[in-house]
Amino acid sequence: MSALAGRLGARLGRARWRALPIARRRQIMTPVLLAIGLAFPFLTGNAGNVDAAANAFTYVLLALGLNIVVGFAGLLDLGYAAFFAIGAYGYGIAASGQLKPAWSSLWAPLAWAGQVSRLVVPGQPDTVQFHVTFWPMLAVTAIVCAVFGMLFGAPTLRLRGDYLAIVTLGFGEIVPVVARNWEGLTNGAQGLGGIRTPTLLGYDFGFSPYPYYFLGLALVTAAVWISIRLQESRVGRAWMAIREDELAAGAMGVNHVHYKLLAFAMGAAVGGLAGTFYVAKLTTATPDMFTFPVSVMVLVMVVLGGLGSIRGVVVAALFVAFLQSVLLQDLTEYVHALGRLVGSDFLQRLELITSLELIFGLILVLMMIFRREGLWPAVRKVSALTREQQAAAPSRGSAVDLEWARPQTAGGPGRPLLQIEALRKSFGGVAAADEITLTVHAGELVSVIGPNGSGKTTLFNLITGLISPDSGSIRLEGHEIGGRPSHEIVTRGVARTFQNIRLFNNLSVMENLLVGEHSRLEAGVLGAILRPPRVRREEERAVERALQAVSMFGNRLLPRIDHPVYGLSYANRRRTEIARAIMTRPKLLLLDEPAAGMNPAETLELMDLIHGFRGLGITIILIEHKLDVVMDVSDRVVVLDHGVKIAEGAPAQVRSDERVIEAYLGRRRRAA
Amino acid sequence: MSGLDVVLQQVVNGLALGMMYALLALGFTMVYGIIELINFSHFSVFMTGTFVGLTVLNLMGVTAVSRSLTGLALVATLVVLFAATMATTGLLGVAIERICLRPLRNVSGTAPMITTIGVAFILINVMLLTWGPQAQRFPSLLPNWRWPLLGTAEITFKQVVLFVVGMVLMVILSHLVKRTTLGKAMRATAQDPDAARMMGIDVDRVVVLTFFLGSALAGAGSLFFGLYYGFTGYYVGYTTGLRAFTSAVLGGIGSIPGAVLGGLFIGLVQSLGGQLLGVKWTDVMIFSILIIVMVLRPSGLLGVRAPQKA
Amino acid sequence: MKRRVLVAGIALVGLVSTLASLPTDSTAQGKVVKIGLSLPLTGADADGADAILKGAQMAIAEVNAKGGAAGYKLEAVVFDSATPAAGQYDPAQAATNYKKFIADSLVMAAVGPNMSGEGKAISPILSEADMATITPSSTNPDITDPKFQSQYRPKGKAVYFRTVTTDAFQGPNMANYLFHAQKMKTVYVLDDGGAFGVGIADSFQKRAEELGVKVLGRDRLDPKEADYKTILTKIKGLNPDALYYGGVMQAAAKLATQGYEVMPRVIKAGSDGVYDLSWPKQSGKESVEGWFCSQASPELVTSPKLEAWVTKFKSEMKREPTNYAITSYDAILVIADAIGRTAAANKPITRTNLRDAIQATKMGSIQGPIAFDANGDILTRTVSIYQWRDGEIKYVGVAPEK
Repeated sequence: MSALAGRLGARLGRARWRALPIARRRQIMTPVLLAIGLAFPFLTGNAGNVDAAANAFTYVLLALGLNIVVGFAGLLDLGYAAFFAIGAYGYGIAASGQLKPAWSSLWAPLAWAGQVSRLVVPGQPDTVQFHVTFWPMLAVTAIVCAVFGMLFGAPTLRLRGDYLAIVTLGFGEIVPVVARNWEGLTNGAQGLGGIRTPTLLGYDFGFSPYPYYFLGLALVTAAVWISIRLQESRVGRAWMAIREDELAAGAMGVNHVHYKLLAFAMGAAVGGLAGTFYVAKLTTATPDMFTFPVSVMVLVMVVLGGLGSIRGVVVAALFVAFLQSVLLQDLTEYVHALGRLVGSDFLQRLELITSLELIFGLILVLMMIFRREGLWPAVRKVSALTREQQAAAPSRGSAVDLEWARPQTAGGPGRPLLQIEALRKSFGGVAAADEITLTVHAGELVSVIGPNGSGKTTLFNLITGLISPDSGSIRLEGHEIGGRPSHEIVTRGVARTFQNIRLFNNLSVMENLLVGEHSRLEAGVLGAILRPPRVRREEERAVERALQAVSMFGNRLLPRIDHPVYGLSYANRRRTEIARAIMTRPKLLLLDEPAAGMNPAETLELMDLIHGFRGLGITIILIEHKLDVVMDVSDRVVVLDHGVKIAEGAPAQVRSDERVIEAYLGRRRRAA
Repeated sequence: MSGLDVVLQQVVNGLALGMMYALLALGFTMVYGIIELINFSHFSVFMTGTFVGLTVLNLMGVTAVSRSLTGLALVATLVVLFAATMATTGLLGVAIERICLRPLRNVSGTAPMITTIGVAFILINVMLLTWGPQAQRFPSLLPNWRWPLLGTAEITFKQVVLFVVGMVLMVILSHLVKRTTLGKAMRATAQDPDAARMMGIDVDRVVVLTFFLGSALAGAGSLFFGLYYGFTGYYVGYTTGLRAFTSAVLGGIGSIPGAVLGGLFIGLVQSLGGQLLGVKWTDVMIFSILIIVMVLRPSGLLGVRAPQKA
Repeated sequence: MKRRVLVAGIALVGLVSTLASLPTDSTAQGKVVKIGLSLPLTGADADGADAILKGAQMAIAEVNAKGGAAGYKLEAVVFDSATPAAGQYDPAQAATNYKKFIADSLVMAAVGPNMSGEGKAISPILSEADMATITPSSTNPDITDPKFQSQYRPKGKAVYFRTVTTDAFQGPNMANYLFHAQKMKTVYVLDDGGAFGVGIADSFQKRAEELGVKVLGRDRLDPKEADYKTILTKIKGLNPDALYYGGVMQAAAKLATQGYEVMPRVIKAGSDGVYDLSWPKQSGKESVEGWFCSQASPELVTSPKLEAWVTKFKSEMKREPTNYAITSYDAILVIADAIGRTAAANKPITRTNLRDAIQATKMGSIQGPIAFDANGDILTRTVSIYQWRDGEIKYVGVAPEK
């Protein structure tokens, strides 16, 4: 089987296909897919199939919307049907006779625009009848849903994945209950009826499936296009960074509040579009259409296709729709026939469609255990290394080409850059930072050393905003940064690496670096989607700079620039982290044990690099255990023990300080 | 019926209801405390337990319409019922852990929780396909004694049993967790599985035991559900489960007395809130509590740790 | 490798089922009229839907055995309108089914839907296509109400015909009965939050208020909730004469048991939603004892006049009939009769002509005379009252119309 497929594939040029860049592949596939999509109704000739396909497009839209929230940003939303409902009811209320406020002259302009009419009933006061046009409502419900998305997302911002899911589940339950109970607005359990169908240039869509099919196709195409654009933009990278490691994302300048709310908003907007489309076609809306099983079904589609994989999610959604509307019924026919053949009463009465939810459960479990990336994960074009590249001797680069990384520090070297005063932080009674006072001048390299648990990383965390001080102040160029969120501190010019290396594991080296550049780029959602020349130039420059940053390590990272970082060697991961930190163009660079796990040659190379950074004018604070390194590179050394600064001064001075020796080696021991 | 009667009756009902939620929440919170996983399937195990109990009773010849039992026969039936059901649900929980959750033990993110949602769906639909969508009557084994409290307010034997058993279980579990070696092993594993492993604790075994205990508790809860309400259906895990989950979160996830406290509170909210506002707002009330607790005080009333990982 | 097999497998299955679903040529054997049957055959309403289906099938078999209607053989096209996500009937699925009927040029009329929620979705579709459906069980009055004509039949002509009467009478007539026969002066009303339940509870409540009965309160049961003691305790505290429940079995099963525990002596009544033969099995004989329920039709299944029919149904269809199986049976007969009259007038059998013929129906049937008003509602507005006694449902009488 495999050999045959292989020969077939080769004949079709699969290897050649794989060699094409993604953009080119897209250029070829897009017209092909569109052509199929446009031709399908005429090929099938059966209006029932076209109708089913139009319904399937609703599923695809929902799956694409949830993909933004769960797939891109990693926020598990279990109440996604709520946005489906809000979109549906939003249009439904505006386009049916549900609301009947009393007529007043305020409604006249809307009546003139054809959105409402004055209903004259003899013997009763005149009321307003709503029949808002479908097309502007698409935009309106998308915006309304985006607002609700942010509203429902706001309480979850500080919650971890599981809890976030439960809160969204809560909202997903509340919305249908409100729809059921708020009878004045939604007609309660009876649901809305007589919702107006869309009209285009005088043509009423009515109940023919064809116009809905093409409208659905257009909406899906738009949603796919928007998803792709977002994924490959600064916004998408920020989402994926949050998904991979929220803490590190913040340390690279990604404002997690902003981007999480944005993800909720975008996902909700697409859900709202789906709801409006669905209900315009169905002309009724009831609360039962938007319950938890619907949310789970959309989740199943996204999980099946692949979290974050646009093409996977589209195919999976179509498959689930197909499963529900056609496949299970047809299989049931065969089972019934089989039952008649073997005389089994059970088989003759079996209805496979009732096991659909069971199938969903199985899909969720099996996919999570065996294939978490989904059946058809996103294409990741990873260029294999050539023989030469694999066998090449590592070459060294240098930091000389990174002029763009030179910080603009006010004043010159020597001025105080970072001023820490009486900094205090306790964790449940244990003082991790106990009245620390320290000043770092521009251009300096200060090393912080001390035994394990002395509070060095805590100090870094306090400076970079991962935790807030209990008291004391931290000032960068005079501005107080103590207690500020980490992404803000990054924009002020502080970058760091982590003791345990926190890279965005599933992203490539290039993508990691580009996230580093996040705070220095400007593209927002509109820029990401529309990609005007300004944004395109910005991205090109960012890629250039990333390549330059990587080349400071010679040929080590460059050939692996589009490999996912989880596959890199430890040293290369460390290098990537350093390069990523440089991309933020810091004034102050905090390196937390950068030489850990490096052999002496690599350590020397790292020292050279650090010298290079200093040459650019970057101020560095270094945590290191390799004391020879520390002594070699530092201007000053600070020693911490149990949260207290016990010594500070020139390296040689500190080395022979008794208190320092005691801290490292314990009492009653002296260095030889 | 005077106003005070009604309120008192609602309080009694609410406490009984709350104890039901507490029973469910206890097993749930134990598992969460160990592996920090929101086990969605816990409540489906609960629902399955009711059907297991029903099957056990049917096998013993006790059905909804058979003649009622007394004395020794009743006690013996109950013992067999509880033992069999709790063992089965305990094993079911272990199976779920072993097959679905252990492969994902080291996976971060939401994959494990999604898996438990899948398991829940599987259980619900297997029960639905096997037993059908209609409610199944659960034999009423406990005698229907009732004692008046004030005016027309009364308390039933079933409610007393539910209450007493819940309290006893809470005490036993607290003792287990705080005083025994197993409990210590559980707490150590909860805090730092790697360190626990290095101390010689068989983490896998501790997790399995915890799942067994938690699921057996769910089984006990399920029998109380059946005996108290006299019915079961494929959907009973869902609503009751979400309320029990809210109870666990409110009381402080990972805290055993918290589960009971949270459960009682939610039960009272449901009954007194229903009395005041009408029962159609119960869902909204309880979910709002859940959301507010999660946002303002994620560690709950008695919890120590906020459910966050750095 | 695994993925290729999987993809190939899916493609293969997809291909086979697409081929299987291609329409086959069925006009080869002469005159056939297809009748669409869209019913929630899976899910919570499956049993009732099955009875309706079998009633229709029995009628079709009888008509065909007599040589068809004016020589036309009747053929049923059956689709399930329930989806697993809904767990019961799904309006969207019903709409899809009816669109499939309309796409099939041999389908001239339909019998169904079962539930009014489906009806609201499909009525405009029928109006657009000028095709008639006759529902044996959908009782929500809005669908045929001229007030909502623009919503449910924009083209104006009636397309939604019923061989049952509507909740415009079912709810109020029960109120009349309880007021006159049971001397109800105060009542508490409950619904189950579903489209049907809310509608009929509303109509009951409105009529009760008109009669001067004091409605002490109105609340909603959650069918997925297990504990109704809260609301029952509250109701007990208010001490009403009667309790009315508008809704279907899922909540009724628990309401009966817990209601019996909390308030055994209150008069309890429901609608046709609690006329369900499995109720004693679900709730226990003693819990169900004394509950009144109604049917939007005259006494049918338990009527001695229909004993022969019931026996035939039981032996052929191997299940107990329901009243709505009979109204479904009659619906087919109406269509057959309409075909006959259309052919007799030398008019072609089209959807429009058939609709017109159905509108003009005046025939007898096993449920009594059938004729429709301009909206499609049946003219005989009989609502029957039943009571559960000793685990069985017993006919009480016709509900008073005032």
